[in-house]
Amino acid sequence: MEGVRDTRAPRPRTPGAIVIPLYNEERNVARVVREIRGAGIDWDILAVDDGSTDATREVLRDLPVTPISHPINLGYGAAVQTGLRHAVSRGYETVVLMDGDGQHDPAQVAVLLSALDAGADIAIGSRFLGDGAGYRIPLLRRAGIGFFSALAALLGGTRIRDVTSGFQAMRKPVADFLAEEYPVDFPDAEVIIALGLKKFRIAEVATRFRIREHGTSMYANPARAFYYPFKSVLASFIVLLRLIREKK
Amino acid sequence: MSLHAKLIITAVSLANGLFVLEMLRKRRLTESYSLLWFLVIAAILCATWMERFLLSVTKFFGAVVPVSALTLLSLVFVLIMLIFFSMKISRLEWRIKELAQQVALRDAGEPAGDDR
Repeated sequence: MEGVRDTRAPRPRTPGAIVIPLYNEERNVARVVREIRGAGIDWDILAVDDGSTDATREVLRDLPVTPISHPINLGYGAAVQTGLRHAVSRGYETVVLMDGDGQHDPAQVAVLLSALDAGADIAIGSRFLGDGAGYRIPLLRRAGIGFFSALAALLGGTRIRDVTSGFQAMRKPVADFLAEEYPVDFPDAEVIIALGLKKFRIAEVATRFRIREHGTSMYANPARAFYYPFKSVLASFIVLLRLIREKK
Repeated sequence: MSLHAKLIITAVSLANGLFVLEMLRKRRLTESYSLLWFLVIAAILCATWMERFLLSVTKFFGAVVPVSALTLLSLVFVLIMLIFFSMKISRLEWRIKELAQQVALRDAGEPAGDDR
């Protein structure tokens, strides 16, 4: 969607932006925004409401954020992509992705940004490294993440333990790439594989995660929990095939 | 194939044709898709009444009776149509996603984009 980008857009107010995809987060989003400001981050916040059926959209109007609202529910990945597209068109040099359910601690953004300063193109906050290792994940899901981590390492050449982490910071070239290539429903190993094959420098850093206080995780839906592993395996191989074909 | 079977296949095909016409009249089907279905109905009728053609198809597939060959052909056609419609739905899903994102970005103060 290159045409969406506005070459006449004014320079962004801040060097970076925080993208928060939201779906039915009326009870969490205000706290998340408050915490971001409380952590001393004055970057623009791009809050993407993915067609929520609760009052998320109304709540956003009273918050110091740029609200972007999907007219219909498209999926987590599409919400992230919309935020990235907006960020790219506005010319932000750095983009941070954070979930709107309060699981990501804004105080940890500095840890991600340090990894970028150290030379990474994208830094992924991990639940499985350092102090974050205490974060409890059901055994089956943990096994699934382990499998996709191995798959990403095999196909993309980069070993990332927490391939499903949505807590990320990225430089503009990565945001540019992901604004075009991003899974609609839920990003998984295929994104790591694509980034690895594109030779972006990926860093995984230990970050603290918290338990969500309100609402339910997408994995609480058994049908989705069953569907995503199959979809992710297929998507991973398709990413590989596409990039191999591009190189030819 | 017995005359009885031929008449039943013909009746079902014609009923299907009338149904497609009715859907077309009610604007629940576009001309392009209805044309496809009319072609299929015509093909089934030809296969039913052109004995020699159907016998050679039956022989080609190694089927015992012509009705089996006709059923197999229908099944292949249905499979092709399912794949075709899956592709169409995927394409429509992608377009809806792009459209919804563009609407969201436009409302957020961004200029209009393309509509690939």
